[in-house]
Amino acid sequence: MPVKSYIAHPHDGKYQELLTELSMISACDIIASENEEIAIVITDTINAVEDEKIELQINSIKSLKMLSMVSGFETGQ
Amino acid sequence: MKRLFIIFLWIILMIATIVIWTYSYQSSHEEAYVPVSNLSETYIIPSEEGVFKRSEYALEYAEMPIDKKHQRNLNTYYKNRAFYGAPPSIPHAVAERNMGGNSCLKCHENGGYVDKYNAYAPVTPHPEKVNCRQCHVPQKTQSLFVATNWTRTTGAAVGNKALLTSPPIIPHQIQFRENCLSCHAGPGAPKEIRTTHPNRVNCRQCHVINDKNVSEIGVFKRATKE
Amino acid sequence: MIKTITNRRDFLKKMAATAAMTAAASLFPGIIFAEEQVENIKASGNLKWTKAPCRFCGVGCGILVGTENGKAVAVKGDPNSSVNKGLCCVKGYHQTICMYAKDRLTKPLVKRNGRYVEVTMDEALDLVASKMKETIKKYGKDSVAMYTSGQSTIPEGYVASKLMKGAIGTNNLDCNARLCMASAVAGFLTTFGADEPMGCYEDIEHADVFVTWGNNMAEMHPVLFSRMLDQRLRRDVKIIDFATRTTRSSMAADKSILFKPQTDLAVANAIAYEIIHNGWMNKKFVSEHCNFKKGLTNPGYGTEDKFKFKDKPTSIDFEAYKEFLNDYTPEKVSKISGVSIKDIKYLAYLYGHPNKKVVSYWCMGMNQHTRGTWINNLVYNIHLLTGKISQPGNGPFSLTGQPSACGTAREVGTFTHKLPHGVVMNKAHREHAAKIWKVPVERIPAKPTYHATEMFRALDRGDIRFIWTQVTNPMVSLPKVGRYTKGAEKADRFVVVSDVFPTPTSDVADVILPAAWHIEKGGLYGNSERRTQHWNKMVDPPGEAMADAWQTIEVARRMGFEELFPYNKETHEDEIYEEYRLHHKGKKHNMAPLEVLQSQAGAMWPFVDGKETKWRYNPIYDPACSNGKDFHFYGNKDGKAIIWQRPYEPAAESPDDEYPFWLNTGRVIEHWHTGSMTRRIPVLHRAMPHSYVELHPEDAKKYGISNGQKVKVISRRGSTILPASINERGLPTKGQVFVPFFDENMLINEVTLDAFCPISKEPDYKKCAVKIEKV
Repeated sequence: MPVKSYIAHPHDGKYQELLTELSMISACDIIASENEEIAIVITDTINAVEDEKIELQINSIKSLKMLSMVSGFETGQ
Repeated sequence: MKRLFIIFLWIILMIATIVIWTYSYQSSHEEAYVPVSNLSETYIIPSEEGVFKRSEYALEYAEMPIDKKHQRNLNTYYKNRAFYGAPPSIPHAVAERNMGGNSCLKCHENGGYVDKYNAYAPVTPHPEKVNCRQCHVPQKTQSLFVATNWTRTTGAAVGNKALLTSPPIIPHQIQFRENCLSCHAGPGAPKEIRTTHPNRVNCRQCHVINDKNVSEIGVFKRATKE
Repeated sequence: MIKTITNRRDFLKKMAATAAMTAAASLFPGIIFAEEQVENIKASGNLKWTKAPCRFCGVGCGILVGTENGKAVAVKGDPNSSVNKGLCCVKGYHQTICMYAKDRLTKPLVKRNGRYVEVTMDEALDLVASKMKETIKKYGKDSVAMYTSGQSTIPEGYVASKLMKGAIGTNNLDCNARLCMASAVAGFLTTFGADEPMGCYEDIEHADVFVTWGNNMAEMHPVLFSRMLDQRLRRDVKIIDFATRTTRSSMAADKSILFKPQTDLAVANAIAYEIIHNGWMNKKFVSEHCNFKKGLTNPGYGTEDKFKFKDKPTSIDFEAYKEFLNDYTPEKVSKISGVSIKDIKYLAYLYGHPNKKVVSYWCMGMNQHTRGTWINNLVYNIHLLTGKISQPGNGPFSLTGQPSACGTAREVGTFTHKLPHGVVMNKAHREHAAKIWKVPVERIPAKPTYHATEMFRALDRGDIRFIWTQVTNPMVSLPKVGRYTKGAEKADRFVVVSDVFPTPTSDVADVILPAAWHIEKGGLYGNSERRTQHWNKMVDPPGEAMADAWQTIEVARRMGFEELFPYNKETHEDEIYEEYRLHHKGKKHNMAPLEVLQSQAGAMWPFVDGKETKWRYNPIYDPACSNGKDFHFYGNKDGKAIIWQRPYEPAAESPDDEYPFWLNTGRVIEHWHTGSMTRRIPVLHRAMPHSYVELHPEDAKKYGISNGQKVKVISRRGSTILPASINERGLPTKGQVFVPFFDENMLINEVTLDAFCPISKEPDYKKCAVKIEKV
């Protein structure tokens, strides 16, 4: 059951768009920054397959410029 | 007799002239170099000066309500400095002819709300150094003389802890800033670094400095005989 | 079950978020998230929190250790502990990190042909036992010794005492508490006839004035100091720092008074003089509860081997005492001590004031003193003359430096002259111990043998051939340590060292036994205020590391004493404590039962009828008082305390033309004792990477020394090189240098003098003569 955290960077001027897009994905939590245009994304999935799917889904968001993973935990069953 | 006296006087004057001339000649040949001992000011441990300086206000700090509208944040705090640890510049207009003791300190010795700037004045950790503008200068223009490759180094983030529950370490140097409460307590303190417990007073009981900009310390190694 | 899983996942998510936020903050300094401050993320997760006393100093803070998956991952102050009320110091918060140091001793090591070879624990214990038996056979019982510690747990100290005194039958047992608390013990015994403070930490909440005698509490007892500062913010409280050096405590104090080294004796007498001559003496108290006595003078300094001294107390009357004090008028003492007449009178005024409650605190400044017993007596005199004792907020309070200096060293009695209850010289006490131990009383010798310093001298001479050290690092902490290191390395000496980490002491060992650290074993500690605190084992020790008490038991069994050590490995700590409690039965020293100690953050003895005793000798609080008066000093047969006539005598070695500086040694807040634990905690090491020598700026200027330059500190015994520290942490007076002793790589104890107090046998680490050279 992987738990992962990322930093998401938006394209210029697309920050709000990115936040709305991200918030539509139910398997991830978002912590938005108040003063810089980045957001922290935490994903919580049942297995590795789901996890890959989610990552793809996030990466397909148009307003996203870059997604960098910071940490990951495998919690076992 | 009179003639003898005059001759004697002349001889005295002659001798004096020679002595003085020789002495000054010699001293002019002395080396102008004064041996200077190697002043390697290796920084070992921070000074204790001012550790408890503002502690008399600790309880007031603890009881002060937080004015959420006018809080400073770390972002503006760092932006007001050329680099991490640099003296902050003066972000407001100041009269040119003044000395800190009778102008800057009026607001910056104890802080307080300033209507004009719609903000709380930050408190200086070193009110005894009254020639403020020796180090702090206003920014009269945002333009540059020529472009620069200088980039601002990043400051420390909050939450420098060794264990989940251990007190954060002090991530910055503290010379002239030994007095923790001036920046970490009160309404002028950036909200991220405002202490929740100013009444503890003896800050360095729990928070120690781990910032060594001079050289990397690493971990403890035994000097073994082998 | 489901709940813990969700908790755990929540926790991991928070951890992941924390990591990302930290990373983001390094990219964008000052970045703010909707959830402000990473601190707001409460990482409680599913950590298991278990209570224990702190591993370090004698304050005995209650801590909670968070464990997860068999690892200790967090420490916080125990809010239920009345000692620290949830607050710790920087050492306390980071303590468990040291367990994970890479050079942890995990396998027993035996020296063969000059090299250490790994063996199994069984082999190592067999070797220790056979070597001990062989040595006894060849050289007699008094050729084997154990040197333990004020950091030993109560069970560890108890089995060591039982093995040496009850099983083998030698008094060759002493401990490192001799180097730190012996003068306090001797002071208590000579004045009150019973060891340990009458008051408790709660005095802080009641007192109006705190006088600290040669004590830097802000760094060495920070949690208690914080309690004092707390009071000062809320009430009209004065802190007076009376010391030989300006420290962090001086910065916080309301008044800092500096005196010349060793002259505290004269100042204490001057305060007594002022109290009597200004009519501030509590006549009723003194006539009802005090006797006057004097002892021998000029007892020497013990620098020679086999030094012997026995004090001869004689009774005197008040007039004789008053007459004696005429040598100590403020005017005369001001000349000796360098303290102004005004300041002496001010101190006397504070002590003498009828409406001010005064607590005196001291630790090593008064104990590590060639007249340590005397200065302890003299401070008690002041409190007895004014009757300011044994009441909330009034009293002398001797602080300890080690977590169980009171609980183990003093109460279990791991000194050569002590038994778990009483002393070996007393027949009744021997019989009491023999009965509980179930050994013939003749086996316990009636004569004390070697105190700490003399024990290592005996090892050097060859009178002792086998020594086993546990939980201590004498090759850093002994004074004039150079001699003892060489002595231990001599041929036909067998040294066994039980420790958690390699140290200069394990470097001279023939057998190194890996030990379990603090929370890798269970145990009990007793702190400065008579509080006994219990903890359970929380994590497993690495490799073959074993609890010290169990090592002693294993060796004892291998020597043929199985029937005396019938404990179970899993529960031996608790079984031993229950046996130990039998020694202290009675109203004067009853120890709290195990159930109580397991359920709460310690209890103070005497624990009578389910209640702890906060103030001894006062019938309102102490059920052992039985004379029907306001106070009962029941340690002495007639129920009275003794006011001692003790003169000022100079130090063993004072600065002269050749060695013009006083050398003072001590500690810093970041490191604890010889640093073997704290230096392995990165946070603390980075905050204080090495030792240094503090100089007065004028002395530094005279020698052309600037901050950070290397300075050689030289005495008649040895030298060491350290970087100079000018106007940093502390400021010594002119003509004095100060060096913290924690650094094994810059051994200041090569330089110190092994002179000691003739009564307590505690060495003076605070005074000897040195010269300095710029390197």
